[in-house]
Amino acid sequence: MESITVTFKLNGKTTAVAIEPLESLRTVLREHLHLHATKAGCGQGGCGSCTVLVNDEPVLSCLMLAALADGQEVTTLEGIGTPPHMHPLQTAFFDRFAAQCGYCSPGMIMAAKALLDKNPHPTRAEIAEALAGNLCRCTGYVAILDAIEDVVTQMQEA
Amino acid sequence: MNADLFIPRSLDEALSVVQTHGAGLLVMGGGTMMMAHLNEGIFFPKKVMSLARAGLSGVYRNGHTQIGATTNLTEVSQIADYPILSEAAYQIGGPAIRNMGTIGGNLYMPQPAGDLAVPLLAYDAHVELASASGSRTVSLEDFLAEPRSHRGVHELLVAVHLPDPTGYAAYLKLGRREANTPSVVAVGVRVVMDKQGQISDARLALGAVGPFAFRAKNAEALLIGQSLNAKSIADAAQIAMEESNPFTDALATAWYRRHMVGVFVKRTLEQLTK
Ligand SMILES: Cc1cc2nc3c(=O)[nH]c(=O)nc-3n(C[C@H](O)[C@H](O)[C@H](O)COP(=O)(O)OP(=O)(O)OC[C@H]3O[C@@H](n4cnc5c(N)ncnc54)[C@H](O)[C@@H]3O)c2cc1C
Ligand code: FES
Ligand code: FES
Repeated sequence: MESITVTFKLNGKTTAVAIEPLESLRTVLREHLHLHATKAGCGQGGCGSCTVLVNDEPVLSCLMLAALADGQEVTTLEGIGTPPHMHPLQTAFFDRFAAQCGYCSPGMIMAAKALLDKNPHPTRAEIAEALAGNLCRCTGYVAILDAIEDVVTQMQEA
Repeated sequence: MNADLFIPRSLDEALSVVQTHGAGLLVMGGGTMMMAHLNEGIFFPKKVMSLARAGLSGVYRNGHTQIGATTNLTEVSQIADYPILSEAAYQIGGPAIRNMGTIGGNLYMPQPAGDLAVPLLAYDAHVELASASGSRTVSLEDFLAEPRSHRGVHELLVAVHLPDPTGYAAYLKLGRREANTPSVVAVGVRVVMDKQGQISDARLALGAVGPFAFRAKNAEALLIGQSLNAKSIADAAQIAMEESNPFTDALATAWYRRHMVGVFVKRTLEQLTK
């Protein structure tokens, strides 16, 4: 079969892209659309570094057929903040040194965003559960949980 | 990778794809295992069908409960009437895996995955399968014992059917870490007591300790007519260990799995005395 065209809302903008039928959403985001925040880690569903939001829910883009994004809303890290206008989670990760190599950060931040959008006042345990599918191999989880808790506190004060 | 991808919009459409292309077809529910295999280069399928848009997801109640095959694990984890089913679903993966993985796909997973079979056996689930020539409903127990392969499809799992739950149930899963980890062993129990506090019906399901999840029927039989006390619980745990047929893999040895069957059967039954 030839390539197929999928059309979806990517970070708020309608995007059409020609793909091979079995390509994952991760491959399409990184290799066709050149959005490299979404990381290519294990490709097995085990690390969470490829986490993106589809219709505001976290999914692993390495395990999703890009063809199924057709008609859906996809949000990647590029869609939630830019260097001059960082998302509060990005600022908090920066302030709390929640990234060493940073490879896990996009997935961590997307998983955390999905949680905070639904539950703005999670407990530390609820934050940890929301990140259960995201591995960090160098920073350790304490700084990451601290960063997310900072954002929860900021939202409570605002 | 050149391949045909089918995304049917109804069960009928899906069944006609199976009829025409079944021999070389690879089916995906949520794709959490199948995509991992494609990424790894384990399969290079020429024909793939995703059931994601076939209208097979949802939980319905009319006399009994029906869970559509592509209902995802997040939704399964929210089914309140079957507490150990929702608990088992919640203990799978992290949120993203639960948003993608389906109950139907879970029941095809090789051990040690396929956790949902354990609570579903405890609740006497049946599965409904359909092909172009008709449908059949079989007990989950019989379904799990049927031979299967990932390539070549002649029927689809359409739904899981559950009778109204009776009695009390408990579920425990042992993994190597707190979350997002395969089972070393999973135990699901459900007992119905009569007015005298004696067990009139018992289900004791075990996962990750055999070629597929199964009911430890000798242990179940031993419990019938007894009260739940230290002796009946210890005896049931011992017999369940003997009924297990565990394997060694990267997570645990067969010896350890069998040992933990005893510990976890005891703990689940003890939970029911509280
Ligand atoms: C990080 C990670 C952690 C995991 N943790 C667990 C865990 O703790 N416990 C656990 O049980 N599993 C676990 N899994 C495995 C898997 O994600 C789940 O079992 C999931 O429910 C599988 O469902 P699926 O729809 O994604 O399967 P798919 O990959 O879509 O399919 C799996 C198999 O089922 C067949 N199939 C799917 N649907 C149908 C249908 N309707 N009719 C006929 N055949 C069908 C497919 O052809 C394939 O052979 C984990 C996976 C990952 C990546
Ligand atoms: S790359 Fe997708 S989970 Fe690791
Ligand atoms: S910062 Fe390196 S993996 Fe998390």
